[in-house]
Amino acid sequence: MEQKQRKKNSFTTMVIVTLLLVVITAIGGIVVFRLYMGSLKDIEDRAQYDRYYAMIVNNRKDTFWQAVYQGAYETGLSENIYVELLGDNLSDNYSREDLMRIAISSGVDGIIVTADDSEELSGLIDEATREGIPVVTLYGDNPRSTRCSFVGIGSYNLGREYGRQVLQIASRKKNLKVAVLVSASAQDSAQNILCSGIQETLDMEKDSEMQIEMTLVSVDNTNTFAVEESIRDIFMEEELPDIIICLNELTTTCVYQAVVDYNKVGTVNILGYYDSDTILKGIDRNVIYATVSVDTMQMGQYCVDALSEYHALGYTSQYFTADITLISRRNVSHYLQKEEDDEK
Amino acid sequence: MRSKWRSLSLQGKISGIYILANIIILIVNIILLIGINSMTDEIDMVYQENLHLNALSDALTDVQDNMTAYLSVKTTDALEEYYRSDQIYRDMIQELHDEVTGRSFDRMERNIKKMSYKYLDAVSQTIEAKRGRNVEKYRIRYENATQLYQYITTYINSLNNEQFKRNTLNCTELLRAFRFFETISIVIMFVVIVGNVAVIIKLAGNIISPLKRLAGQADEVARGNFDIELVPADTQDEIGIVTGAFNQMVTSIRKYIERIRQSMEVERALKEKELMMEAHLKDAQLKYLQAQINPHFLFNTLNAGAQLAMMEGADRTYRYVQNMAEFFRYNVKKGEENVTIRDELELVDNYIYILNVRFSGDIHFEKKVDKSLLHVQMPSMILQPIVENCVNHGIREMAGEGTIRLSVYRIDDVACISIKDNGIGMSQETIDKVMSGTYREEELAAGSNGIGMDNVIGRLKLFTESEDVMSIISEGKNKGTEVIIYLQIKEREDEDV
Repeated sequence: MEQKQRKKNSFTTMVIVTLLLVVITAIGGIVVFRLYMGSLKDIEDRAQYDRYYAMIVNNRKDTFWQAVYQGAYETGLSENIYVELLGDNLSDNYSREDLMRIAISSGVDGIIVTADDSEELSGLIDEATREGIPVVTLYGDNPRSTRCSFVGIGSYNLGREYGRQVLQIASRKKNLKVAVLVSASAQDSAQNILCSGIQETLDMEKDSEMQIEMTLVSVDNTNTFAVEESIRDIFMEEELPDIIICLNELTTTCVYQAVVDYNKVGTVNILGYYDSDTILKGIDRNVIYATVSVDTMQMGQYCVDALSEYHALGYTSQYFTADITLISRRNVSHYLQKEEDDEK
Repeated sequence: MRSKWRSLSLQGKISGIYILANIIILIVNIILLIGINSMTDEIDMVYQENLHLNALSDALTDVQDNMTAYLSVKTTDALEEYYRSDQIYRDMIQELHDEVTGRSFDRMERNIKKMSYKYLDAVSQTIEAKRGRNVEKYRIRYENATQLYQYITTYINSLNNEQFKRNTLNCTELLRAFRFFETISIVIMFVVIVGNVAVIIKLAGNIISPLKRLAGQADEVARGNFDIELVPADTQDEIGIVTGAFNQMVTSIRKYIERIRQSMEVERALKEKELMMEAHLKDAQLKYLQAQINPHFLFNTLNAGAQLAMMEGADRTYRYVQNMAEFFRYNVKKGEENVTIRDELELVDNYIYILNVRFSGDIHFEKKVDKSLLHVQMPSMILQPIVENCVNHGIREMAGEGTIRLSVYRIDDVACISIKDNGIGMSQETIDKVMSGTYREEELAAGSNGIGMDNVIGRLKLFTESEDVMSIISEGKNKGTEVIIYLQIKEREDEDV
């Protein structure tokens, strides 16, 4: 009788277990699926921000600008501000001016723009100011506009640094031809200041027997691929300069590649700009003589700080200058090491 | 619930099992369907945002087109169309996000919303200017609005594109999840089916098992073994009823058998008692007869008489009394043991002598004996009763001289003792009756020593262990009777000779 009872009990247990298993599996499956769907949606950052700044740069893909943006972005996050590199996910490749207009129409809380002296930009900056949007010019200035602040590198100091490097090279070779690659749009005042910085350093510090001839070579940057072509043109000429000074990341990379391609390593010294991976490798391989590293993080940070300060106080400092560091064979290993660590 | 289940009929139970199995499968199916449904909804929702953006884009284009149409034709219809589309577009952008979040989609939506308001303002200003016929102004404003329109379109397209990319990714993920769910579903269905089968087997087994037990017990009964354990009828279905009836039947049969056995026993006891009584009666008769004779006393008395006769010199009296004493002594001595033919013949001699004295020599007794057979064993008190019968029934009632011839002879291994008289004879009917032992003569008549023919025959049969012990031959009335006794000669007795 007892056995019979046990048998019946085990039978009931079996039925219940089967049903439970079914229900648990079904509900579990649905719950897992829901959670899974939820996780799909919640990957993105849904945090809300108090302010919204737009950053407009000429060449968004440049690692230099990416680094600057990163600096601004991180600073913004700490102050609950979202800094967006405007135009990054738009299907059209809008010009700086279009992006300015979009930013103004979108009613952002601040605009960071790489400026030059053009009037159109001045007009747009003024329009933004009228709409109550403070504008910070970055890297290049537009002093005639109503921009609230300018964040750049000390162009004059940078010029002097380049000058000192030229003199260092000149100590080994008395007759030197120096070519400074400047952008064709001559409205960039920073570029001019930089050139004068170089010139002054050379004039003041060179020995009497040194023959240093500095020329400005304009590089066409009006359309997308023109820079590379212009640089190749230089190498097609018979007489090559001994030193080529590049004032941005793109030209540095192009010249570096051209020197290698035309087998001019050792004959042409490159003074580069920015510390991208490629450029650091160039120094390590003794193709690039030296480069300057701009503290991009600091640059980005200054932009956001300037806008926030303006929002808070109604005014801000007119100029912010980011630090620069010279990288040559002496200390390149340190930077390369840092890159590797970063990658890790 | 269990008792309810037990009280169900067989049909109810089987139907119950099917219904249970189907309900389980139905429930599982419903659950799975709900799951699939919610997933399908989810998948449907994936491109919802894109559809919405497309609608937004269309509405925007409507606004732009209607403005352009109004600017070019300036009809009231175009104006109305413009107002309508303006309202639709306003309603639509109302729903857009305007928070700044980490999601680029949200920010784009916000920008679209803000720019759209600007754009709508610009459009209405353009329309105003057109209505005011301010050509210069409305051209500029138109260009302004168009530029904004292009920006917004780009934004919408870009957003649409980005969302499409992400949704496609989501869709792929969803489909993968769907596949996973499918596998799970199959597993669940499999588990359910296995569980169902197990449940059905178990329940069917529960239903059938009492039937099986019943069949086994019925088989036992069919083989004649009623001493079986009764099948417990714990259900109230048809099987339960049949089991109950079967139990009832087996119990009844058992009782019936028991009753028959008991009555048979009683009958047997009764028969035994009857037999015992008969035996006792016989014994009593015997004792009675023996008591009547009281032989010791008789032959002692006779001996005293013989001595008296001898002392008186009456020789014939002495011999007569001596013979009588011999006769009775034999009766007393040999009454219970086997004797030889010689002993028996002596007894017959004594008896004849006594009779001849009694009846003054009326009986002629002739003996013809094969002496080699004298030692053959036989029961006592056989020949004397036969001779007595010859005298009493055969000779006494006839007229003339009665003769008794006794001969002992041998036929092969059989010793034959023939006693023949020349008396009145016997009818065949009487012979048959005597032989079968049914002849109950008015026996124990006076003068007999109390031993009847049936007794003689019975003892002979017992002694020889054979049926063929005696034959009585009578050729008819007054032609005499011959009684022949057949005794098997045992080998040992042969050798003794």
